[in-house]
Amino acid sequence: MVRVVLKGLIRRFADDTTVGPINLEIEDGELLTLLGPSGSGKTTTLKMIAGFIELDEGKVMFDGVEVARVPPRLREIGMVHQSIALFPNMTVYQNISFGPEMAGWSRERTIQRVEDLADLLGIRHLLMRSISEISGGEAQRVALARALAKGPKLLLLDEPLSALDPQLRERLQMEIRGIQRKVGTTTIYVTHSQDEAFAISDRVAVLQEGTIAQVGAPEKLYDNPSSEFVARFLGSGNVFSGVVESKDGDKATIIIHGKRFTIRNPHCPSSGEVRISVKPEDIRISQTAHKDSISAKVIGITPQVGSYRIILSTDGSTIVALTYDEDLVRDLRNSPDDEVSLSFHNDSIVILSD
Amino acid sequence: MRITREQLILAVPLLLLTLFVLYPVLVVVVSGLVGLTASDAMEFMSSPLTQFTVSLTFNQAILSTLMTLAVGLPGGLILGKLRFRGRTVVRALLIVPFVLPPIVVVVGFLQMFGEYGILDTVAMAITGSEGSVLNLATGLPGILLAHTFYNAPLVMLLVAASMERLSPEVEESAELLGASPWQKFRRVTLPHILPSVAASGILTYMFCFMSFPIVLALGEGRLRTIEYRIWDAFRTAHYGDASLLVVLQIAVTFVLAVAYVRVGKDSQDSGATTTSVRRVTFGEYSPVVRIGILLYLAFMLVLVAGPIASIVRAAVYDPITRTYTLDGLAYLVTPGSNGGLLPLVNSLFYAGLSTILAVALGIPLAYAHRTRSRALPSLSSGMMLLPLGISSITIAYALMRVIAVPTGLNINPWPLIVLAQTVIGLPFSARSIEISLRSIDPEVLEQADSLGATRLQRLFFVELPLLAPGILVGAVFAFAMAIGEMSATLLIASPENYTLAVAIAHNLGGRDYVWAGASALLLVAVCVIAFLLIERISEGATGGAL
Repeated sequence: MVRVVLKGLIRRFADDTTVGPINLEIEDGELLTLLGPSGSGKTTTLKMIAGFIELDEGKVMFDGVEVARVPPRLREIGMVHQSIALFPNMTVYQNISFGPEMAGWSRERTIQRVEDLADLLGIRHLLMRSISEISGGEAQRVALARALAKGPKLLLLDEPLSALDPQLRERLQMEIRGIQRKVGTTTIYVTHSQDEAFAISDRVAVLQEGTIAQVGAPEKLYDNPSSEFVARFLGSGNVFSGVVESKDGDKATIIIHGKRFTIRNPHCPSSGEVRISVKPEDIRISQTAHKDSISAKVIGITPQVGSYRIILSTDGSTIVALTYDEDLVRDLRNSPDDEVSLSFHNDSIVILSD
Repeated sequence: MRITREQLILAVPLLLLTLFVLYPVLVVVVSGLVGLTASDAMEFMSSPLTQFTVSLTFNQAILSTLMTLAVGLPGGLILGKLRFRGRTVVRALLIVPFVLPPIVVVVGFLQMFGEYGILDTVAMAITGSEGSVLNLATGLPGILLAHTFYNAPLVMLLVAASMERLSPEVEESAELLGASPWQKFRRVTLPHILPSVAASGILTYMFCFMSFPIVLALGEGRLRTIEYRIWDAFRTAHYGDASLLVVLQIAVTFVLAVAYVRVGKDSQDSGATTTSVRRVTFGEYSPVVRIGILLYLAFMLVLVAGPIASIVRAAVYDPITRTYTLDGLAYLVTPGSNGGLLPLVNSLFYAGLSTILAVALGIPLAYAHRTRSRALPSLSSGMMLLPLGISSITIAYALMRVIAVPTGLNINPWPLIVLAQTVIGLPFSARSIEISLRSIDPEVLEQADSLGATRLQRLFFVELPLLAPGILVGAVFAFAMAIGEMSATLLIASPENYTLAVAIAHNLGGRDYVWAGASALLLVAVCVIAFLLIERISEGATGGAL
């Protein structure tokens, strides 16, 4: 397999948009996801790695060797495109065997390889079908088998599941994860869905307007977003502005919405304005007001699996909270016009660095 | 099944076409066959002359098709793949040969490739010869070249459109899986474009099979195809012979039409136009390929642009006296039986009338094609194709025989010319109206309904305004087809009904080349204006009207 290093990749487009500079290291055997909203440069980055989009600046290195002069077909890459891009004029078997045939494998070896992959992906019964006779989920598996057939060193998956319905998508995420573990190919996965990224990845790189905002394991990104963008995009963040009043060791007092909160955070500056983020599940709602709490109005309550999502409003900004407390929800529903007060645990406040 | 008033209205053009095309043609063919004994028929069909005609027709069509594909295919690949400035202009210009009347192309060909033509002049200068050394415009080479001129642009457009439906991601997949450029072409690109190559090949074959003005004018009276013989047989009152040939011709065109519909479906199925076609810049090709592309470009300029441009020379240069003269232009404004003014007025008058008719019939015909009832759509599409499958000469003769003779119209048969030109223009007007009808969002119409518009209000305030560009394009197309029509008009017209196209044929026959050249130049001007109008109205989307 291969270790991939991206050094300062930059691509400028005619419409004045720029992707990059992108610096990223993908470890051997790792599954890394490029996560970001549409237009953030995910697919461009992937195609620069594949060699379909030329770099204006920077280097792509496979195991320490620069690949700028290597054409895509010699980079030993398997790729699944967003549109799946199966060859419409061939059968499932012919699609999967295309790579081995191009590499001049013997007939026996090719057949063996195709059958092994078909078993691995559960598509053995489809091998003789034409591409127009298989469903979306099946096409997805065929595309993955085709990409893996030659045993590539690097697997690139460009939003491969975006056209599927949610249930099927979830099942295939697990399958892709399982297969990637089994074959151990270094994999770069592109998606705009936070759920998908978190479900599938060893590490996630969040892209924002062509550059990487933060890289890390899913838990780390979720618990410690470094910026307002990451916090909001991962859906983990209620972002507040506050002013640091005093700091003593790793304890700091911050004024948020006119209320005083004490937090424990060594990274907090000793004075001035800060942006902080609080996860929805760390916000506590109470119907009785007390000193250090922010008052808010309930706008909506949405039940979801295992919890309730409560939308609140204070001073014109919206706050999302999660609660498991059914009694509280009943009380909130019974008196919809009452003010409630919000507080959070001292340890749960994250100071955003930028 | 209850028949609504709407369906009755939509059926009107079908009834008219049945009355004025299908019925007369049937009467003529059947009566011709009835007057023929079996042994006469056998004798005629097995005569060496007929054998020659039949094999010549098939062979010249297959040769023309092969040549057209050989010339058009590389162009289609280049046009679909190469990134260059002015792509859209080139694509638009490729429609021009299609709207040029064949007889005008003949004039251009004689001037470009004929004796003392432009190419010949160059060859004479090189060889230092006093007499003509190169004549590619007449005989079989001329016919093949002219057919290639007409159809290669069509092949290019269809193949390029197909290339654009090939998803770049499919190509990338093939590359990542290790396919070399040649393997990628053979395994992925070629299978993808094959249906459109086959479709354009069949269309080309059909065109060449039925081609008349080019064969008449370039075939030196010696190369007589089936269509030529049908014309000759009607002219000389050999009705039985004509009927036999018409039946043979219709059988062949029917088979071709069925094959085309089959293949056409395949070529449309293979994917929608992708938004991000992957194009290659000229510099990315190897030097050998680059030289190839440049040579090809030069060849196409000589073959396609050459004849069109040399029509200008044809208007002022007399190849017999080998002098420049203004006689041709004077001819155009000369009234009376020896002048070009009457044909010019006739052309505009007949084409104008038939355009109005073609649009008036084309609108209900297009609607009939879109209705939900079972019979109407297939009937109307069959009727739309009818004039393409039955030769215009047969239609013209049938109109003369079944309608003009009984009613006394044959004394001055101008209404029949209008009728024949309408029938020939109708597929084009109906088709472009239908295309624009298809692009109307049905939800917009539902909006009109839900806001309380009656059927008529909806038609006049919503549908027709949305259809207006399609109707205009259809009208211009029908006008171009009508004014350039020669075959049917040639058969029907008495001298006082001559149109410019017919006058050109006569002038060529009488070796009045500058007269023909000046008339051709005028027709080119009309067709180029028509083309510009089409482009302007449809903003570059004319490819669909083919």
